[in-house]
This record gives sequence, structure tokens and C-alpha cells, in this order.
Amino acid sequence: MLNETAIKELQEIRNKYPSARSALLPAIYVAQREFGWLSEEAYEAVSEVLGVPKAIARGVGAFYAMYKHRPMGRNIIQLCTNVSCMILGAEKLVDYLKNHYGLVPGGTTEDGRFSLVIMECIGACGTAPAMLVNDEFYENLSEQYIEEILAKFT
Amino acid sequence: MITITINEKEITLEKPVTVLEAARSAGISIPTLCYHPALERHGGCRLCLVEVEKMPRLQTACTLMTADGMIVRTETDAIAEVRRGILEFLLINHPLDCPYCDKAGECELQDLVEKYGPTTGRYKEKKRKMPESLEDAIIVRNMERCIVCTRCVRMCEGVQGASAIAVMERGGHSHIEPFSGGKYDCEYCGNCISVCPVGAIMSRLHRHSYRPWQMTDQVETICPYCGVGCTVTAQVRDDTIKRVIPKLGSPVNNGLLCSRGRFGYEFVGNRDRLTRPLIRKNGVLEESTWEEAIHRVAQKLGEIKENYGSLSIAGIASPRCTNEDNYVFQKFMRVTIGTHNVDSTARTGYAGAQQFIENIFGQGATANIISGISRSDVVFVAGGDPTTVNPILGLQIRACSRKGGAVLTLGKISGLRYFSAHALDHASFTETVLLEGIVTELKNRKALSGSHSSLESNIKDIAVPVEDVIKKCNIGEDDFRSFITALSEASNPVLIIGKEIMQSNGASYKLLLLSAINYLINGRIYLLSERANEQGLLDMGCASDLLPGSRPLEIAEFRRRYEKAWQVTLPDKPGLTLFEMIHGAKEGSVRAMYVMGENPLFNLPNSGNVKEALGNLDFLVVQDLFMTETAESADVVLPALSWAEKEGTFTNMERRIQKLRKVISRAGKEDWRIISDVSSNMGVSFSYDSADDVFAEISKVSPLHRDLTYDDIEEGEALWPFKGEPLRGGMEITCNKGDGAAEGGKYFLAVDRPLFHSGTLSRKSSALMRLCPEAVARISSTTAAELSVTDGDSIRISTRIGSLALPVFIDEAYDGSLIMVSNNFRGKGVFSLMEYSIDPVLKSPCVDNVIIEIEKSDRPVRRDPKNDSEVKR
Amino acid sequence: MKTFLNSILKRYWQNLPDPREKVLLKNIENTNSADITEYQKSGGYASIVKALEKERTEIIEEVKKAGLRGRGGAGFPAAMKWTFASGDPKFPKYLICNADEGEPGTFKDRPILEKNPHLLIEGMVISGYALKAEYGYIYLRGEYPDAKHILERAIAQAYEGNFLGDNIAGKGVVFHLSVHQGAGAYICGEETALIESLEGDRGQPRIKPPFPVNVGAWSKPTIVNNVETLSNLPYIIEIGGEAYSKIGSPECPGPKLYCVSGHIEKPGVYELPMGTSLREIIYTHCGGIKGGKQLKAVIPGGISTPVLPPDKIDCPMDFVNMPKHGSMLGSGAVIVMDETVCLVKVCYRALKFFEHESCGKCTPCREGTGWLRSILERIEHGEGQEGDIDLLLSVSSNILGKTFCPLGDGAASVVQNFIKHFRPEFEGHITAKTCVVES
Ligand SMILES: Cc1cc2nc3c(=O)[nH]c(=O)nc-3n(C[C@H](O)[C@H](O)[C@H](O)COP(=O)(O)O)c2cc1C
Ligand code: SF4
Ligand code: FES
Repeated sequence: MLNETAIKELQEIRNKYPSARSALLPAIYVAQREFGWLSEEAYEAVSEVLGVPKAIARGVGAFYAMYKHRPMGRNIIQLCTNVSCMILGAEKLVDYLKNHYGLVPGGTTEDGRFSLVIMECIGACGTAPAMLVNDEFYENLSEQYIEEILAKFT
Repeated sequence: MITITINEKEITLEKPVTVLEAARSAGISIPTLCYHPALERHGGCRLCLVEVEKMPRLQTACTLMTADGMIVRTETDAIAEVRRGILEFLLINHPLDCPYCDKAGECELQDLVEKYGPTTGRYKEKKRKMPESLEDAIIVRNMERCIVCTRCVRMCEGVQGASAIAVMERGGHSHIEPFSGGKYDCEYCGNCISVCPVGAIMSRLHRHSYRPWQMTDQVETICPYCGVGCTVTAQVRDDTIKRVIPKLGSPVNNGLLCSRGRFGYEFVGNRDRLTRPLIRKNGVLEESTWEEAIHRVAQKLGEIKENYGSLSIAGIASPRCTNEDNYVFQKFMRVTIGTHNVDSTARTGYAGAQQFIENIFGQGATANIISGISRSDVVFVAGGDPTTVNPILGLQIRACSRKGGAVLTLGKISGLRYFSAHALDHASFTETVLLEGIVTELKNRKALSGSHSSLESNIKDIAVPVEDVIKKCNIGEDDFRSFITALSEASNPVLIIGKEIMQSNGASYKLLLLSAINYLINGRIYLLSERANEQGLLDMGCASDLLPGSRPLEIAEFRRRYEKAWQVTLPDKPGLTLFEMIHGAKEGSVRAMYVMGENPLFNLPNSGNVKEALGNLDFLVVQDLFMTETAESADVVLPALSWAEKEGTFTNMERRIQKLRKVISRAGKEDWRIISDVSSNMGVSFSYDSADDVFAEISKVSPLHRDLTYDDIEEGEALWPFKGEPLRGGMEITCNKGDGAAEGGKYFLAVDRPLFHSGTLSRKSSALMRLCPEAVARISSTTAAELSVTDGDSIRISTRIGSLALPVFIDEAYDGSLIMVSNNFRGKGVFSLMEYSIDPVLKSPCVDNVIIEIEKSDRPVRRDPKNDSEVKR
Repeated sequence: MKTFLNSILKRYWQNLPDPREKVLLKNIENTNSADITEYQKSGGYASIVKALEKERTEIIEEVKKAGLRGRGGAGFPAAMKWTFASGDPKFPKYLICNADEGEPGTFKDRPILEKNPHLLIEGMVISGYALKAEYGYIYLRGEYPDAKHILERAIAQAYEGNFLGDNIAGKGVVFHLSVHQGAGAYICGEETALIESLEGDRGQPRIKPPFPVNVGAWSKPTIVNNVETLSNLPYIIEIGGEAYSKIGSPECPGPKLYCVSGHIEKPGVYELPMGTSLREIIYTHCGGIKGGKQLKAVIPGGISTPVLPPDKIDCPMDFVNMPKHGSMLGSGAVIVMDETVCLVKVCYRALKFFEHESCGKCTPCREGTGWLRSILERIEHGEGQEGDIDLLLSVSSNILGKTFCPLGDGAASVVQNFIKHFRPEFEGHITAKTCVVES
């Protein structure tokens, strides 16, 4: 079940739209934040608060790539490998993460520190290769730079 | 007027339709997969692409609306190419396991590939793997066969309104799943199965037990369960029913079914069916012959009539039997025995409520077309969950709300929680004040028209100020006011009344108030009916105060009519009602009872008392399919044929008479035949050779069914008021306010009416038992918290007359202090705990406000009936 | 630490060549260009006041004169869409800004969203007024978390400044605006899928007709325009449609944001007159191919637009002329590839993208994109077989023109165009049974 503040937050979001159903996407974001990932329990909570059938909620959530349907590491690396990033070496970075952090696409490090998600274009092609760690852009990546960045996350 | 050309053929249309509909209306076939006439347009499968002049791309016929002068081609080489291409795409990930797919032979994909190719595959990679899901007891999902046409999802969300399944993920990973991923948490209507074009969603009941083309017979008949009377098609292989499916375009249910109708047929072939007559000999029931049994019954009834008079014998008819059965039954009681002591479980609510309302508005006031509900703009539901009692009627309410109509409910109703605009969640036992408040407000907003003096005189003094209502009922003022506004602004409203009202304290007064509301908003009334032929048996005169045609027997003119027809003199006083019979048996004035297709010993409140009463009888005959609780204490038990094994007619709650057709043959006799055998054995012979003969007599003697023939019925023309003459209303109104809620109770007991069961018949359908295997105490989460119990825990419920230990089931969708227990499971019926009082007007029992004691009892060990091993929760 | 690194690295936009001043990227070098006071200092929000004095129809008239075309990819004339919408009597009406920017290679809207949000807000208020739309939503892709916070802050400021709300600039005009965050689905850039997503549904395209201008969000008339499109409005109001129409190509005038990436000396977002030639963009403004290598191929308008070989880059980059030169302007996302790039691999990666983003509603795209990807995969991995190229072409043509929405067509045409221009490279892979470029 969601806590009071989260429920309040949802009710405020709900008022931005003509229908409760429309608040589903933001609501799922909130549930993901509160539960860490989108378990059945998380969807039941969303369904409860918005009065949207739970199967519908899950079906909608399952459509979108940025909703996480299994437990994630403490920090989520979202690395772009689309064409602009690829031709500037994104694949080498994928290998680098595999070799130096034991981090495979879709996987999580044993210590639960990082999860790696391969992204389609994240709109940083001009400064490729690029990635998001949690909510921050990191661009013009190189192996050293990645090491430098990841050092800051525990 | 629109004129379009398809394949050089000119087609003129009244109104714009899709190109597909236009083509089909002109006999031009266009292949489709995602299209389904009952569902919203989708346009996803792309199989129906056609060429349209002046349009750059190919167009999907199923979505494109016709416009005047449009020129369409559907059979060019290019189109053939496209169809082959699309089908190839659908096959690349398809397992092609037709040899052991139950759908083979009626698979739309298979047929289309056979017609349009391709014959060879060019896809070399590994196919998508998704193991067949057998996690669910009833529905098998095979997502490798799924073509993502989403017909099932559009059905589940858009028509059934259950929203239990959804498309998960996207693109090539798209697949359909219930919320939990495996097991369904839904209403098990199985309508998703009906619309699946391939073998992706199927019933487990007939899994791998036949191929569609091996069906030896398929018969269109009527569902045996509730009063809606859905048309079903039963498919048969060597005299067993393999499956039951709905039919598009059928009246009432138009291609839809509920769990009972679709999956509840297995009782017919159940091993426990009675096969031979039984006679109690020195204490035990022993098998015997028909001759002996019939003779015994005739002889005993004869003796008792001789010694104690006709009035010492009573008969209970059956809302599960046909009109023909029931007509013969009451004729037997009236003519052969010579008494009006004939009644039925319709007396537990429906009969009294209907008579009360008809006295006000006239006969047929409740005979309204179910499909009209979705076309109304306001639906007011009082007294129960229509989506479980009469599921297909429930869908009409959901459809109404989906079309923008307002659904108003007294109390929260689980089945309508996503559909009700206003749910007045009033405190328990405050319906009367609430209804008085509504009447008061409506009177303020709408002047009394004066067109119904007796009704108006009864309500003119009702005046309860809003403040009182919201205080007593503990509801929000705004909620109440918006409720009233919605009601008073309705232009085409509907009232739906369920048993919780009919069986409540002061029921007749509540019905008066509801009638007043109906009068003030000028609506139509529907009475929920739990049994398939509850209405029919009343119209056949199986009531202590009614003759066939639902004619009150106290009116001499009607008596004379039947005395002439039957060549007898009939008593001029009504007979004993159901509950008077029980009382009579207990104190000895009733000596013998004839029970046809009913289980009073279990189905009536205070069943302990009923057992005692029936135990008192000198002689008890029970005619049934199974060894019911009542049959067990009978002196003679006569095996009857079931709904699937005989011809006849049912009359549904709309008072639509529909034909029952024999689906399979089985040795034995129809109820009406058994009765007439007994009768001739008593010296009064009825001489019917078939159900037709019986109906012929009915349409001759009953003023309501006058001149009606089976042909009229086959043509679907047997709609109220048939060719007969209904009685007028406007009679004197008497009603009883009841004595309010019982004092000093915190928790109260209520009858639960589960979707997956119906009386005790459903016990014998293994599918329904799998869906709902045991009795539970359904409680709200608040109550659960107060009792500190969780799902799986067990509580003991005790009243003055009995006590039951039941596992609790916490229903999130419901809140309140009521504890709901069903009356379906042997030894666990709620009626064993319920005392009742009789409403003096309706003659029906009031079973609400039963005070109960509750204590937490230790977790029960559930045992598997098969190997008696313990079942883990 | 990070902030230092990023302050030098995050500069992904480039100036218009002086002396012409910038319109869309105005002032974005200023560290707090996203702040309302900064924006107003340089004349921001002046156009609202000016616009609210005009009749609604006048504004639409100006936009028509300006010849403004949608910058989202389709290049649909804005004024035409607006006329349809304002012609519909139903109320309320909704104005939606399409900030999904999902087309790979595209990052042109990002500088506006992150650095110049008030320009967009001003543009939306003006459009909202012109269209009698009282509610606006910015559908922002989930991949732009920064932009979300920046926009929300800007919107809050605009409410305070009374440029949003129930009585804008004291003129009694009503317009409310909020941000709706997507969650990672390229298809939600397609306007009807976007509306489904806004309504809290799976982002799958809707049947058209009815079109959103008549039956859109919550079944009400709805106008969907791209960020860049809407951001042009204040300028059109400022200088007038007439003057605006003199900028760039006569057929589709105005300033245009080109975002250039790949093997290029100075990648970034460039504000240039519409119709600047591809060659000029690459060699004059972006300093040519990175490290002086050879140009091998250019994708001019985002992944979905047909790839061009080096000898086809003398084309004016606008909606009218690009088709004549065998490609499309799309989102103006120029991806430059030098001689070291394996085009089979690029094609394969592109199809991986389409497979991943296919919404799954229609058969050809749902099944076909994956099939194409798998064939390309085996070719790239040296397992290609005789006839694979013909198979690719055949499967593509079974998709092209049969799909529900343009995404599937895009996938098919990508394959067709890569093969059309670079067939030998594909054949090379199949015969050599390995990647002929990288090895
Ligand atoms: C598959 C697909 C993806 C699209 N993605 C975007 C997008 O990311 N951003 C955008 O502005 N328009 C996108 N569009 C175009 C929109 O459908 C729509 O044409 C546009 O938002 C209209 O705005 P405009 O007229 O200002 O260009 C996409 C279209 C398709 C078919
Ligand atoms: S082409 Fe079809 S499957 Fe692909 S994105 Fe469009 S609608 Fe969805
Ligand atoms: S039937 Fe028309 S697209 Fe499926």
C-alpha cells in the first residue's frame, strides 16, 4: 500500500486531468519510486488509488520501456547504443561495463550497486556516446570518464 | 442514400457503414481476423486491406466508412499478394501445432491460410517460445498461437467490463495475460474464449476430448440457471454435452454468456444422477421399479386424502422445471388432490414482490425487455448485485454506464464498482428512511400528476427532511442531492430490485416507496430472478393464490373458468403458502407433501426447522435429479429428466416464453409425465403424450397464453403480453412497515449470492466447484481488522438456532458490517443460521437483521475430496 | 566534479552564424536563460501581450502568411491544422505540445526545453488563445528528466507572472499548462498514440478518421504540434507573417533547427534558415568530417528517413525539396557516417530500434520488423545466405504501405534504401561471411 504523502501526491496529479485514468502514467512512476520496482503489489496500489482495474494498470505499465518490472540496483545506468552513439563507440562501453563491473545489459551488479539498461536514442547524439545515471545526463563518454562517473555512486 | 461500387457491383446503403459491412451485406466476402461485429473497431490485423480509387494507400475495410461514389476492389492480384504476406507474418512465430490444437477445424487462421496461402515458410530463425499456461482451472492460454487481434481484451474490457486481462509488453513480445500472469481473477464469463479466432484462449472442460467436426449434434436451447434465459447452443458427442456456447444475434444475451451458463452444464452427466426410483423400506431407501414407486405414491396420497382430506396434502413446484411440468403439477394438486396447497420458492421474494407491484401498476409491470436497460439514461439498483444474480442483465447496466448513462445504487455493489456514478453507502438497515427521503425530494421536484389516486394517497404524507436522511443514513449531503438530481432529471430511467429488498424487514413498505419513485420518475421496474423459470411457474399457477395465467383464484369468474375446463369444483379459498405448509407439517395439519425439483430442506431459512417439519410428515415424495437433503428424508424418491433431456418451455423475467430443446437422450421420465402417471394411477388421467400436448392445453385454458403455439415461440413472438389480456392494477394498497433493525447487534448476517453458484444444482458441476469450492464468510476489510483475521483464517458464526465455522474471504470492493454467507454448500448453508419472520403482505420471509455472535476459530484443515490429503492454501 | 565536467561537455548546441540573430536558440548561452526574468529582459512575453490584442482569426491568418510548417517530421502546414480545429464547435479544446523527440539522431527540441522553456510556453499561450484551447499539455519524453524539472519551474514562474492562468495579462484569457511525462515509447511521438498515452493508455495509434482536430484527447478537438513549431509563434507575432515568410525556403520558410551528430567536427544543434543545403550544413557550419576522413553516408532527417550517399548531399534541407532528392527532412536530424562505418551494422541497429519500438498493434510491423532484424543480424554476423538480400526486399515490401501507422513503413524503407545505395556492401558480407568494413 502507498503511504499517505504518495496518495496525496497522486490525488494532486489526478486533478491535472479530466479523468482519473489519465493519471495512470504518472501514478505508475510514483509507485515505481515508492516500491523500487513495479511488483503486483505496486500495481494493486495504483489501481486502488485511481480506481482503475489492476489488469489495465499493469497492461499500460508493461507497454513502456522505462517502467521497471523487476528489482533494480541502487543506481540505474541507462546507456544509449543507437546509431549516433554506436558509431562513436557505445558498444565498446557496453563491453567495458561487462568486463570491469560484471554488468551485462538488463543485469545488475552482484553488490546491487548498478543496473544496466540499454536505451534507444536518449537525445544526446551531439555529445555521443551518452548515458543517463539515474536522472542525470553524462555525455561524450569514454572508458576513463565512465570510471570517473561511476566512482561517485555507492 | 450512399452508392458505392465494390468489384464492379453497385451497392446502395441507407446510412454510412464500414466498407466491410457494406461488402458483406452484398454477399462479397473480405477476410478478417481482428474484426468482430460485437467489438470496437481495431484495424490491426490488416487482413482486410482493399484498394479504393483515389486513395494513395490500401485501406482496411473494417475501419473505412463508406462515402458516396466510392469505388472499391477486393480481389485484385495485388490484394491476394498482400493477404499472403500478412498471413506469412502471422505464421512466422506460430507453432503450427494444428494436429493437437483443439481449435483445428474451427480456426479462422487455419481456414484463411488454407484459402490464401502461403504454403511454404521462408522464416529460418527460432520461433517465439511461450509455454502453454495451465495455471488456471478453467481457461487455457497458449500465447504461441496468439495473433494479437485483441478481440479477447476488447471483449473483456469493452463488453464484459471485467477488465481482467490485458495486452502485456509490446511489439513482437505482445501477449495477453490476466493480472497475476497465470490464474485468472475474473468473472469467468468465458466470452474471451468465444471471440478468440485461434487456439490461444480455450476452455479446459473439453480439452482434447473431441474435434469440432466430430460433433454428433448441436442444439439451441435455453440456459437452466437464472431468470434471464440466455440462448445457448449445446454441442454433443455420443450423448454427452461437450461444450455450451452462446450465439450472436440471439435474443437477451446476443453472443454473451456468464460462468454458470457456459461452464455449469456438467451436472447433466454427473455420476450422482438418480437413475431408478427409490422407496423407503424399513427405514432405508431402496431401489425399485417405476410401477411400484408410482403405485406406492398414488396409494399413499389416496389414503391420506381419504383419511385427512385434500387440504392435508401440499405440493412444492419447481422454478427449474418447465412450464409444462409446472402446469401439470398444479393441475394434479388442484384436480386430482383437490387443493390449492401448491406453492414454490418463488414465495421467498419474487412472487410477493411482483404481485405487490402489479397490484399498483397492473399485470406485466415488471415484464420489461432486458436489452432496454443499456438504452436507458439512469439505472437505479436497489437490493443486491445484479452482476452475480442475473449476470447478463448486469452487463446491460455496465453498457448503460459506458454509454454515458448514470448508474445509481443503494449501497456499494461490487460488480458495479467501476460503473456506478453514485453509490449511496448508507448505514445498515436505513433503506426505509433513505427511500422515504428520496420520495420526499422527488415529490418536491415533481408535482404528483394525480393519475394514480391509490398510490398517491399512500405517499402524499411522506415527508422526511434531507437533514434527517443524511444523519440517520450517515451519508454525505452532496452525494444525496446529486443522487436525487440524477434521478429526477432522468428521461428514460430503470429500477432494478433485488432480493435484499424483497427479503428485508418491512419489505412491502420499501416496495411501496420504490413503486412511488418509479411512478414519480416514470420508469420501468425489473425484478431480479434467481431461477430460470421462476416467472413461468407463477404464470402456470403454481402459487397458493393463483390459477394459470396468474389469475387470482379468489375471483370467482376465474375459478369458474378453470372448473369448466377441468371439470371439477375448486376450493374458493387460497391454499397454504410455502411457509404455511412448513408450519402445517410441523403442527400436523399437513400430512403429506409432494416436492418436484426443489430442495426446501436446504433452500429455506431456518432449515433445521424445515427438517423437523418434514420429518413429521406421514408421507413425502421427492422428484429430483440428485439425492438432495430433502430427498434423503423422503419416503419415495423419483428420478427426473434434466433440462437437457426434455422438451418444453421456460418463461424468463421479461416474460419471454422460450423453447427448451432436447439435447441428449436418457432413459427416464419428464416431471410432467411422472405426475400424470401418478394421477392416472389415482384414477384421474390427463392423457398427454408429449410436452406439446400439455402446452396445447395451457394455451387453450389460460387467458394469458391464449392461442399461443410452439411455432409462435420458435419464431420468438412469445413476448408479453402474448395474445392474452393482462389484468389491470390500481388496487387497494396495504403494506407493512416492519419493526426496524434488531437491537443490540454489531454484526449481521446476510445471504451471499455468488456468481459461480445457483442453489444446490451448481454443486454437481465440477467446473463451478473448481471456481468456488467451499463456503466462505465474505467480510469487509474493516470487519476483518476488527476481528483481526486475514484471508484463510476461519471464524465461527453463531445465532440462536445454529453455528457454522467458515474460512473468511475479505472482499476489498465491499465495506460494511454485514457478514455474507452463501446457501450452496452441504452442511454450510447460511439458512441453517437464519430465523425469519413473514411479511404479512408479501407472505415472504424477512431474513435480514439476524444478530450473530462471532469468534475467531482455528484454521480449518481443507481436505482434498479425492485422496483426502490435506490441501495447502 | 560532475558539474564542472558537464559544464564544458554539455554544450551541445551551436550559434547561428552571425550577424543574423537567433530566434529559437536566442540567449541560450546565458547560464540562466531558462529563468523568466532573463527571458523577459530580452523582450520575452512581449508577443503574448501583442497577440492578445489581435482577433483569434488574425493570428491564424498571420501563421498562414508565415507559411509555418510543422517541425515534427510531417511538415504539415500549421495554419491548416489550426483552421480545422477552430472550425469544430466542440469544447473544451486541447493544445498538446509534442516533446517526445524520439526519432534517433534528434535532439533539436532539447535546447528549447532545457534552455529556453519560456519561448515554448509563450508560443503555446498564443496558439491556445488563437485556437480557443484553454488547456495545454506538454508531452515530454521520459528520457528528458532535467527538462521536466526545468519546464515545471518555468510553468510555475509563468503562472506567477500571470502569463498562464485564468486571466492572462489581465485580458481575461484562460490557458492552463502542465507537463505529462512519457515513459519510453517512440511510437508515442505519433500524435494519436500520444493522445492514447496522455489518456493513460497503451500508446498505440488510433484509427483515423476521426482526426484529433475533431476527436482527440478525451474525445475533444485537439491540436498536436511539435516544440519547435510552437516556439516559432512569438517570432511570427513579433515580426509578422509577411516578414517571417522571407526567411529561408520560399515553400516552407522560417528558421530551422538542424541537429548534427556522428563523425563530424562540430556536432550539435544549429539554427539555420530552412533550406540550407546538406553539404553546407556539414562542411560550412559543422567543420566537415571528423578527423578529415571520407564521408560514406548521411541520414538527413533521423533514422526513419532514407540514407543518402556522398554524391547526393547537395539538396536543400526542407520539406519540399528533400523528397525530390530521394529522402526527407524528417526531424532535421543529420547523422554523418565516415568510411569506417559498416552500413550493414547501422541498418541492423536501426531495425533493432524499430523492432523494439513497434507498438505491436498491426501485423506487418509487429512481426516484420523482427524478421528483418533477424536477417540483418545473421548477415552482419557473417551467417548471411544466398538470397537474403532479395528476402529482405520482399519482406520490406510486404510491410511497406500495409501498416497501421508510418513507423512500420519507416522500418521497411530504411532497409530498402540501405540496399538501394549500398548493395555491394551487403553482398560483400554474405560472400565473405564476415563484416567487410571493420575487418
Ligand atoms: C512513428 C512516429 C513518430 C513521431 N515522433 C514524433 C516526435 O517525436 N516528435 C514530434 O514532434 N512529432 C513526431 N511525429 C509526428 C507527429 O505524429 C505529428 O505529426 C506532429 O507532432 C505534429 O506536429 P507538427 O505539425 O508541429 O510537426 C511522429 C510521427 C510518427 C508516425
Ligand atoms: S506500424 Fe503498426 S505495429 Fe508498427 S507502430 Fe505503427 S501501428 Fe504499431
Ligand atoms: S479485420 Fe480489418 S484490420 Fe483486422
